[in-house]
Amino acid sequence: MLRDITLGQYYPKDSVIHRLDPRVKITAVLVYIVMLFLVRDFTGYGVSLLAVIAVTAASGVPFRFILRGMRPIAVIILLTFILNLFLYPGTILLSLGPLHITEQGLHQALFMVCRLVLLIFGTALLTYTTKPMKLTDGMESLMSPLSRFGFPSHEIAIIMSIALRFIPMLVQEADKIMKAQQARGADFESGNIVRRVKSLMPLFIPLFVGAFRIAQDLAMAMEARCYRGGSGRTRLHTMKLEKRDGAAILLLSAYAAVILAERVLSGMFF
Amino acid sequence: MPIVAENISYVYNKGQPDETYALRHVSFSAEDGEFIGIIGHTGSGKSTLIQHLNGLLKPDSGKILIDGEDITSGNVSLRRIRQKVGLVFQYPEYQLFEETVEKDVAFGPKNLGISPEEAVMRVKDALRLTGLDYDEIAERSPFELSGGQKRRVAIAGVLAMQPKILILDEPAAGLDPGSHDRILAMIQEIRRERKSTVILVSHNMDDAAEMCDRIFAMKDGEILLSGTPEEIFSAADILRDAGLGLPAAADLIRRMRDMGADIDADGILLPEQAADAVAGWLKGKERRGKKC
Amino acid sequence: MKSRAAEDIIRIENLTFSYPAPEEGTESQTAVDDISLYIEEGSFVAVLGQNGSGKSTLIKTINALLSPSRGDVFVCGMNTKDEELVWEIRRSAGMVFQNPDNQLVSAIVEDDVAFGPENLGIPAPEIRERIDDAMKRTGIFGLRKKSPHMLSGGQKQRVAIAGVIAMRPKCILFDEATAMLDPRGRCEVMQIIRSLKKEGITVLLITHFMEEAAEADRIIVMEKGKIALSGTPEEIFGDPDSVKRLGLKLPPAVEMRELLRARGIDIPDSVLNMDGLARYLCGRAEPERDSSGV
Repeated sequence: MLRDITLGQYYPKDSVIHRLDPRVKITAVLVYIVMLFLVRDFTGYGVSLLAVIAVTAASGVPFRFILRGMRPIAVIILLTFILNLFLYPGTILLSLGPLHITEQGLHQALFMVCRLVLLIFGTALLTYTTKPMKLTDGMESLMSPLSRFGFPSHEIAIIMSIALRFIPMLVQEADKIMKAQQARGADFESGNIVRRVKSLMPLFIPLFVGAFRIAQDLAMAMEARCYRGGSGRTRLHTMKLEKRDGAAILLLSAYAAVILAERVLSGMFF
Repeated sequence: MPIVAENISYVYNKGQPDETYALRHVSFSAEDGEFIGIIGHTGSGKSTLIQHLNGLLKPDSGKILIDGEDITSGNVSLRRIRQKVGLVFQYPEYQLFEETVEKDVAFGPKNLGISPEEAVMRVKDALRLTGLDYDEIAERSPFELSGGQKRRVAIAGVLAMQPKILILDEPAAGLDPGSHDRILAMIQEIRRERKSTVILVSHNMDDAAEMCDRIFAMKDGEILLSGTPEEIFSAADILRDAGLGLPAAADLIRRMRDMGADIDADGILLPEQAADAVAGWLKGKERRGKKC
Repeated sequence: MKSRAAEDIIRIENLTFSYPAPEEGTESQTAVDDISLYIEEGSFVAVLGQNGSGKSTLIKTINALLSPSRGDVFVCGMNTKDEELVWEIRRSAGMVFQNPDNQLVSAIVEDDVAFGPENLGIPAPEIRERIDDAMKRTGIFGLRKKSPHMLSGGQKQRVAIAGVIAMRPKCILFDEATAMLDPRGRCEVMQIIRSLKKEGITVLLITHFMEEAAEADRIIVMEKGKIALSGTPEEIFGDPDSVKRLGLKLPPAVEMRELLRARGIDIPDSVLNMDGLARYLCGRAEPERDSSGV
């Protein structure tokens, strides 16, 4: 039923991509996303696609695994395509009653779908090759310069890591409470929407009470283990940039340079 | 209300490489009014098994008959099954949710479509059976009660459905020794008064030995042993393999036998029996000693 | 009041703790009522009592999670009221709580064990050394990359204990740490407690299981915020009537011993566990005071 839900989908493998410093990977994904929004034509997407395919091949994550991960968002992709296809003004290619498909609409629809697919492809690759804990560590480290300006980078990171620890537990807890109430004849499945929302109260109230209890216990346990915020705290996993991280940064720069150059060059001809 | 389980299996992650059998070809039956104990260490399949008995889980194969009705078939009324089979989960106090004790205990009867007047009667009766005073407690919030009281209210919530079969998963877990004994005494009182069939899941061998007519010992999703407490606890070696111990009295006799004492271990389950056996054995030894 | 030598690792002097009144007009609740208690370094002390007798409150004042309403608590000579010393006190007297699920912080075992040392600001190489040592001592080294929610209750409690050991404490406080475990899990935790004692770490164990208390050097029984009984397990369980009057039970072996005594069989008070009882009855050996046979 609700068992075995995990956050992010890590694909365990010992590849060079898996071993990269999480900070480098997060930066790479951010640069990649910015590039995708700067791309003006399909050539740029072609380059980006080649880049992610190369990275995927190096990571050893099977392509079908990534495709399967896209299935849940297929509806959004389809919707994006249809909306752009029909709602863009321009030279009419085909009319279906009141709906018109324009040349520009078709171009725009394909363009947006490419962007969306590449976006998901790239970010999924990050979660497939980086353990959630490493991701939070990396984010904390990248955000830490901001804490000088009062940005709560340590707090955000610890909240994320506690969430990683407790979300699977709360899911199990919800499953248990649901069964306990069903054993008392509760019906979570039938009736109209109002009834159904109402019928969820026997699930939500104990779940919230339980979450508060966990929060209280956990706060006390953290205090007992000398937790007093981020200052003066050291980390077990210190991150150090290796040669492969340097190489990755070089490749990333090359990719960004190609995209930018292509954008400038293609701009010259328009 | 007899229970018959025929060859039930339950599989997690079916069809995937990590598929595991939580239950493997489990068959058993229980007669009306029987007191059944299920023992087995964590992960042996006890909880999975009891969740099958009121239709919370459906077996991947096999049949379960409650009172002759197959509850695994598609068109069975789950509501009726849950009225017949009451299931008290481990730490049941964590499922309380209503503003008052009265409303919380009435949740089950209400779901069964019982009239408000009848529901009040049932709430009163259920609270009385769990040793709580209706007038004192009915209007209080369940969240402000003590731990032991919360657990009683939660058990009352199941009793108010007036099930003929009562299943309890570790009802005394985490309680102090006094509350532990009171909860178990309460279960025996409920059984006497309602004449219900009781299935008790327990880690405590002394409780199982003292209360149960029959015991199922589980390991790795299978029923490893089933029989009377005497039969079960005379198979100490098999139990040890399943990570289970013995009741205190049987444990003492077994240790003494291992040290070479020729005490008859048959049928010794309760402390009084063991004390008699040991006292008799010592007297016999003295007599023999004098003869020499 | 008698003054005590410095070897007492924990000194509790005239401690009273009251929880504030929940609402206006109601009375504040006194959970611990004028208790004085001295705990010798390296000893194993069990604290018994019914729910609501104040055990848990008492133990939380030692770890400075609660501050006394009246009186003082000293850990290694440090007063828990001194805010500057709070962290050193919590490091010296670590705590393991009842619910195995609600005290682990990280989604990976070894990161959780590292949480305490990280908070103490210990450099990374030393953290690694400490946590590897702590995980080996608690037998969870093989589980170090796992996620806590995949572990059994006993394993989770061992992770929690490892997290405390990695802070190099002098004393570990167990607040009903075995209450939610199955027999196997309890056995695992008790084994660690025995080895901690051998290493000279002071152990304070709140428990509902009498056979666990029978292994202690000393037992304290609380009732309504006061210490009702205090003595060695021999003394405490040598007086079954008092134990039962306080809502407690006898350990199974002592229960058996009493039934045998009632049948005219003479058994000394020092017989406290099943192995010792069987040995005594078989005339094999004098019961050992050491309870290693359980």
